[in-house]
Amino acid sequence: MVIDMHVHPAFIKEIGYSKEKLEKNRQVLGLYKTEEFGLEQWRRDCQVSELDRLCILPLALPEKAGGDTVTNEQTAELVKKCPDMLTGFASVNPSEKNAADVLEYAFTELGLKGLKLHPSKQQFFPGDRFMEPIYQICERYEKPIIFHCGVSMEPGTLVKYSHPLVFEETAYRHPKLKMCLAHFGWPWVKEVCMLMLKYRNIYTDTALLYFDNPREFYHQCMEVDIGPRWIDRSLRHQVMFGSDDPRLEQRRMIQAIRQMDMRDSTKELILGKNAVEFMGGI
Amino acid sequence: MVVIKKLEFFTAKYNEMIPIKKEVAQIVEDSPVKQGIVSVITNHTTTGIMVNENLECLEDDILTQLGKCFPEDGDYYHARFLDDYGAMAGNPTGHLKAMVSGNHCVMSVEDGKLVSGSAQEIYLAEFDGPQERTVSVIVMGE
Repeated sequence: MVIDMHVHPAFIKEIGYSKEKLEKNRQVLGLYKTEEFGLEQWRRDCQVSELDRLCILPLALPEKAGGDTVTNEQTAELVKKCPDMLTGFASVNPSEKNAADVLEYAFTELGLKGLKLHPSKQQFFPGDRFMEPIYQICERYEKPIIFHCGVSMEPGTLVKYSHPLVFEETAYRHPKLKMCLAHFGWPWVKEVCMLMLKYRNIYTDTALLYFDNPREFYHQCMEVDIGPRWIDRSLRHQVMFGSDDPRLEQRRMIQAIRQMDMRDSTKELILGKNAVEFMGGI
Repeated sequence: MVVIKKLEFFTAKYNEMIPIKKEVAQIVEDSPVKQGIVSVITNHTTTGIMVNENLECLEDDILTQLGKCFPEDGDYYHARFLDDYGAMAGNPTGHLKAMVSGNHCVMSVEDGKLVSGSAQEIYLAEFDGPQERTVSVIVMGE
């Protein structure tokens, strides 16, 4: 089973966006030429890429920052339309006082499987004390968090909020809370490896491609910038496949992973089995 | 007289050749043009319009040989972050195959019908699918 843990559903026709909202999503996400497309496009992409499931990640933002790209309710609706293909996460705006309540509702009533947060975009430090109620909700319901980590090419983002080291305190305080530091924390891939080694509740994903093509960039980041056997020998249970679709292309990224010099069993973990374990099932 | 119509396709594969002569011929027959030409033009930069024989062996040969001309793991400049898109350029092979195949074909219209040799098929060639694609069909004449 191949699972893409990092897909943005901000341009899906079935949500019924107005032209104005679509354009706002383009500007908010920095995907300036992305066209609206239907769920059938995802289904065909999955067939061509031999992908079985997409984990879709909404993003909650205050109105002045463009508003939610997709709401939790819309995410749940999409999952309801394609339960065989989609798994939905929730998002909350940590600056809102009722964020913990919104999250609890998303887990209990909407059936969403985890939480997506983007500290660079939402401009908070993961170790801020006001985040504690949100983390406690995740712990109570045994739901994982996917944090944006490392550089973000979206406008209105600051890297200081997403450097891998700012996540350590949260991992330290919440050893049972599974958290994915997405994008391998690029360019700080070695720091992410250090954190995964020290905290086994930390995961990462492969949604990184900022130079070259997937094969070349994965080789550079996962076989040169870090030891070529680090993942295969020591971190194989903590790396998940993610694409960052629609910013990046799934098909070539999956092929690039299959071409990497590591055990076939490690590739199977990365491509799907780790995601199942991270989410506590599908 | 000019008649302009659009054909819409939702391709299913990364690379594929889709015969479209039947749809083009129907547009010609439905138009009032009796003598003239019909142009078939793709609206995209990673698709092509080709005229060739409709045989699965040739379809396979064409796609295979184009794949050898432009291998997926080749060294392409079009593999970088594009600021205008906010996304990575990831489809150089699609653009290059489209360049070779060309974006259009022109066929004759006589007595209100599309004229083609018995072996001639018109193909929409997909080089970066699956995607929704649009082909313009323009019938010109009297």
